[in-house]
Amino acid sequence: MLRLACRLFAALSLALSLPAHAVETLRVLAWPGYADSDLVKVFEARFDVHVEVSLVSSDDVLREKISAHQGKDFDVFAANTAEMQHYISQQLVVPLRLSGIPNTAYQLPRFRDLQAIPGITRQGQVFAIPYTFSEMGLIYDRKQFRTPPTSMAAMWDPRYKGRVLAFDTSSHNFSIASLLLGGSPFLIEGQQFGRVTEHLIALRRNVLTFYTLPEESVRLFREHSVALLFANYGSQQLKLLRDAGADVGYVIPREGALAWLDCWAITRGAKNQRLAESWINYTLEADVSGELTRRQGLANTLEASPLTGDADKIIWLKPVENAQRRATLWSRIISGDQPEKFLAR
Amino acid sequence: MKFPDHIKIGIGFKLGFLLAAFGILATSLTGYYFYTSSRNMLTSAAERDLLTATQVVGRNMKIIIDVIAEDAQLLAAIPETRNVFNSSADLTAERDKKILADTFTAMLSAHPEYFQIRLISAIRHGLELVRIDRDGRVLTRVLAANLQEKAHYPYVFDTLRLGRGDIYLSDITINHEKGAHSGLNKPTVTVSTPVISRSGKTLGLIVINIDLNGLSSILKSNLPIAYQLYLSNQWGDLLIHPDATQTFGFDQGRRILIQDFFEPVSTLIKGKGTSVVMNVEAGPKKQGGHVAAFVRLPFGDTIEKRFVILGLSQPLDNIVRETTKLGLDTIQIILAFSGLALILSALVSRVVTGPLHAVVGAINHFSKERVISTLPLTRNDELGLLSRSFYDMQTEIMAHLTELNESRKALDHLAQHDTLTGLPNRRMFFDRLEHAIANSRRSGKQLAVLFVDLDHFKEINDTLGHASGDKVLINVAILLMASVREVDTVARLGGDEFVVLLDTIDGQQHVMTVAQKLHDRFQQVMQMDGHELPVHASIGISIFPRDGKDAGELMQNADRAMYNAKNQGRNAFGFLEGGPEG
Repeated sequence: MLRLACRLFAALSLALSLPAHAVETLRVLAWPGYADSDLVKVFEARFDVHVEVSLVSSDDVLREKISAHQGKDFDVFAANTAEMQHYISQQLVVPLRLSGIPNTAYQLPRFRDLQAIPGITRQGQVFAIPYTFSEMGLIYDRKQFRTPPTSMAAMWDPRYKGRVLAFDTSSHNFSIASLLLGGSPFLIEGQQFGRVTEHLIALRRNVLTFYTLPEESVRLFREHSVALLFANYGSQQLKLLRDAGADVGYVIPREGALAWLDCWAITRGAKNQRLAESWINYTLEADVSGELTRRQGLANTLEASPLTGDADKIIWLKPVENAQRRATLWSRIISGDQPEKFLAR
Repeated sequence: MKFPDHIKIGIGFKLGFLLAAFGILATSLTGYYFYTSSRNMLTSAAERDLLTATQVVGRNMKIIIDVIAEDAQLLAAIPETRNVFNSSADLTAERDKKILADTFTAMLSAHPEYFQIRLISAIRHGLELVRIDRDGRVLTRVLAANLQEKAHYPYVFDTLRLGRGDIYLSDITINHEKGAHSGLNKPTVTVSTPVISRSGKTLGLIVINIDLNGLSSILKSNLPIAYQLYLSNQWGDLLIHPDATQTFGFDQGRRILIQDFFEPVSTLIKGKGTSVVMNVEAGPKKQGGHVAAFVRLPFGDTIEKRFVILGLSQPLDNIVRETTKLGLDTIQIILAFSGLALILSALVSRVVTGPLHAVVGAINHFSKERVISTLPLTRNDELGLLSRSFYDMQTEIMAHLTELNESRKALDHLAQHDTLTGLPNRRMFFDRLEHAIANSRRSGKQLAVLFVDLDHFKEINDTLGHASGDKVLINVAILLMASVREVDTVARLGGDEFVVLLDTIDGQQHVMTVAQKLHDRFQQVMQMDGHELPVHASIGISIFPRDGKDAGELMQNADRAMYNAKNQGRNAFGFLEGGPEG
């Protein structure tokens, strides 16, 4: 009896699984909002395939998922430029054939010059295609600035002491400070760390505080007549402030705004590279990319963002020279260690 | 007549079944509604209790924070604190700080839930002036070189804006301030109050760091073990959760929101209402269902309108256990009452079908034996009516039957008797004769047939009229009847012919005696309406088996014997051939 039931079950599951195997499956690993189900359905219908979307919410989880089984679990995924070097070095991604992604031709010039975007090419081969980005400009109170600030240096300006909101992050703060001191944002020389640290202590002494959550920044902005804010969450944060009734402007400082840029890449374990390339090409259609902007408030690579002009300098994130060193120093800076303490070391 | 058995199964069973079904249905429905309403009552009572418990925990939390606030206010008000700011000389300043540090230490040892107590300056970028940290089991005073600038922390800049005695409560966060000893990387809330000089100048602030885990232990200490405590900030970020990995998600760059676990809480977060109670299908650790209650509690300064969401949940099992017991009790009651309904319906069906059976029995009895049985005639219900109707019908049928029997008897008599004399007619006579012959054959005894023909009867009819003739015939019949035994048969064959059957005779002599007796009687004058009329008869005799083997032969020979007698002059009797004569 049991044996019969088992056989029946086996036969049934075989029968049920057959049609699923007959249709090819594309496995997409993406961030929330990058592959909404209605847009996925259109792709499925057009290519007569099944698309399996998995979501991630942090870079660490993304690394974990792609690294498992040498990338055989997914066909195509989205990661930012600072992360992409890791995947290329680990040989988890394959070079892309741009002929399979003709929609790249309609991308803004900034995204067509792939060699100029750090981290997505190596030895002339392209490993990732930009999809969406968010830059970290400055939000300022129009009432307190007669003319918009032009540089990140405004955060250090004693005229705005106690009215500046900076973001609680080690990496970006070191990058900005290094940039302002004339250095490279992502590569701080050993002997430069003292100066940059000193500069960040100066920032600490000038700001009201370092915020973490976008809602928190809105609350602080309103309650403490904040004049200037480092917009870690970019356009989404600007919208949040405006929705809360703040009369604020947004600028890309002249030394450039740091920006993360999420790109599609194809894993070494991809079953059908052509299909994966079709997926990337599909997301670069005007409708699909447009929906991303409309729904998530994130800039796409086809339409010019109203917040960033072509001339604005955007600095795509790159891996920093020593994230651990920056983090350790930052935790001491934000904890309020006096400058003498750093010298003592 | 099979159908009475069928009726016994039919009506009795159907009625009983119907009644039992009604009984069981009614009991089950009542039981079910009782169970559901009671369960709802129990659940809502549990929900109410849980909400009350949550509100009590909320009040307790407020009381605990108020006590901490009082400690902070006390420290801000004591002269030793202000002295730290007033001392001009380094030496005296150091002495005043030492005194204050001792006070802080004393307070920390009295309150294990305090991580840290500090005096922070309003100037010099919020530099800490006196700081005592809990470091495991010991309390450490932080050396001057390790004191930190804290002006950029909200608990500093927000507190410095406050007036004398006002209290600032920080958001609940993970304390990442380096060098915080035991408090480092632990969930913390700070309670602070400004230190204000006599002239009203804000000099600095007193900050007490609270161990959130310690606080939650205190809150949980008075709750039943099954209760689970939740706390979130005003955006819903979980701060206390039975599963610690679900807390402070924002600290690791993700949001773990209470409204994702308990959707209705979002109404509290949106500022609608102050409490919600809900049933959750699956608990936070994928256990069974939970009942959960959440209240919105103002947190900190009322102007900022900050709040926290405090919640308690209780496994549904606890409540379900009660309702399961209730359900089992209800099932028992339903079973008991259903049994009762079965018994009652059996009784009722018997009460109804009993009289029906009696009626059926009576009908049976009547149809088989034409006997009217006793019926429940005195009942006032339909059965009484049925019985009475049936009784009436029975009586009527009986009357009809009696009448019918009587007419049939009369018809039978008519068919077998002579209408004038009432004697058996030819048909009946032959029946009896055959019968008698059969008997004789069996017994070996003899029998005799006497053929009697009146002499000159035609003349009597013609002279005196038919009426008189008839009277003569009647008188002859009486005469014949009176002359023979009861077992013998006298019959009229028609006209003036009569015949007598002598059943079982003892030889010819016996017959001769009877014939002689008849002959003698015919010699007497017959009285007829005042006339005297002589009536004679000629009689022929035949004896079985001597004179014939069957009825026809016997009759024929008796007839011929009678003709012989006529030929010899009438008024005589005799046998067929050479027999003796009278």
